[in-house]
Amino acid sequence: MHTLKLLSSFLKVNIQMSLAYRADTVVNILLNVMWLGWELLTLSIIFSNTETIGGWGFGELIALLGVFRLVNTLMIALIWPNTEKFNQSIRDGSMDYTLLQPINSMFLVTFSRITVWRIWDLVLAIVLIVIGVGMSGDTTTPLSILTFLLLTVSGAIVIYSLWIVLIALTFWFTKFDNNVTILQALLDAGRYPVTVYPVWLRIIVTFVIPIAVATTVPLQGLRGELGIGRVLMFIGISIVSFLVASQVWKAGLKRYSGASS
Amino acid sequence: MLKIFQRLWQVNWAEQWQYRANLIMYLLYWLVSPIIYLAVWTSIAATKGDVNGFTANDFITYYMTLLIVDQITSNIVIHTFAYKIQDGTLSGELIRPIHPMLTNALVNNIAFKGLTIMGLVPIWIILFFLFKPDFGNLALSGILLAIPAMIVGFFIGFLLSAAITALAFWTTRIYSLYEFYYALHLLFSGQFVPLTLMPKLIQDIAQYLPFQLLIYFPIQLILGKLSSAQIVQGYVTAGVWLLISIAFFKWVWREGVKRYSAVGA
Repeated sequence: MHTLKLLSSFLKVNIQMSLAYRADTVVNILLNVMWLGWELLTLSIIFSNTETIGGWGFGELIALLGVFRLVNTLMIALIWPNTEKFNQSIRDGSMDYTLLQPINSMFLVTFSRITVWRIWDLVLAIVLIVIGVGMSGDTTTPLSILTFLLLTVSGAIVIYSLWIVLIALTFWFTKFDNNVTILQALLDAGRYPVTVYPVWLRIIVTFVIPIAVATTVPLQGLRGELGIGRVLMFIGISIVSFLVASQVWKAGLKRYSGASS
Repeated sequence: MLKIFQRLWQVNWAEQWQYRANLIMYLLYWLVSPIIYLAVWTSIAATKGDVNGFTANDFITYYMTLLIVDQITSNIVIHTFAYKIQDGTLSGELIRPIHPMLTNALVNNIAFKGLTIMGLVPIWIILFFLFKPDFGNLALSGILLAIPAMIVGFFIGFLLSAAITALAFWTTRIYSLYEFYYALHLLFSGQFVPLTLMPKLIQDIAQYLPFQLLIYFPIQLILGKLSSAQIVQGYVTAGVWLLISIAFFKWVWREGVKRYSAVGA
């Protein structure tokens, strides 16, 4: 309850901040629609030359675009603005104030900045997923939808945990303020099913920077391609990665000694 | 004048060298989408035999060449200059007897380019062994013809980006404007796919626009895919766009500086 109250007040502050820049919000949404147009155009060009890529059809790639946009929203609405704030707070020592609060510091660092207009993107992503699945003609059951939701959440947790580890590295290497670029760089690989990539690239986006776990895998779950064992494995991985990330965070905090000392 | 450029080169090279870790990250970031397009199109070509006459190898050679061409013709002027107009640091440069954009910013871009190409070479060689392109019918004449095309292409791209950057004299939403310009670049340059695979309408428009001069035209020259009539046509278009972009940049810059009153003035 306490946490929810905090979250809603973070949201309120961020909405107030963004209301100061209304015209920018409109411009941003227009640009977002433009990029959606571009993404749909690229898919239609690909599918005017073939019926399937990596075994997936047009509808499935629309749905994948939706899932990709969910992850992308996580990146742009939460990860980027909070990384910026975090890196700044390590450089100038304002991290001290975050640590003095009687709340979990990882929670504070995660949610203190939210790019509010991106919520529109979440709606768009869900629309794309629904339309895409409808077009693909795949039969969905309540169970496959549940699997999809669980895998989407666990994929997002894996990405989130990796982010926590990356920013926690700043406690050891203060000049490491490029920490998130690597995540963003490989994100584009989530636009297509990993089955189209050569083996080395598939290994990178599955195991090293696991973008595929948050994009390809949930859709595979929706299509019923994953057995119950695999589904449980991915959920297990997300729990383990979250626990590891919080341990790394705690270890990092012990190294932190402020900016001036 | 030569001495000035020499000095500017030393300063800018040293400055960029200092940020070499950032530079590697930028390079990684920039590499990913061509490699993904390469993977997508080769997998389609491999299952179907060819895509409108493009074999898997055609796609591999296209994108492997694109990695080099794009690195040579692209620029980062918006990121290194727009903020100077916005926060007023430009004032100091304006009182110097040299043009801030056409000397300092230009040399800075070229120094950046030099370093990224140094970083690209080893990565390109690794990709070469991973994708094993067959550059069988590569001819020296094609490469020699492409060099002036890439230089002209770089200057067209630089001047157009510089003109858009200079719109910061009027508006604060310069990055949104640039995003729109970049989308046009993606659509008409051949960055996503060889232009001949784009819808007919886009191809028809693209040949009159400057964007293909930065990507598609030099790649096709290198790969020896153009007839002599097409080469002449490409060079004429490049010449016309070079003149247009010079005039456009000069006009925007002149009007912009007139309007400029620095922060705090």
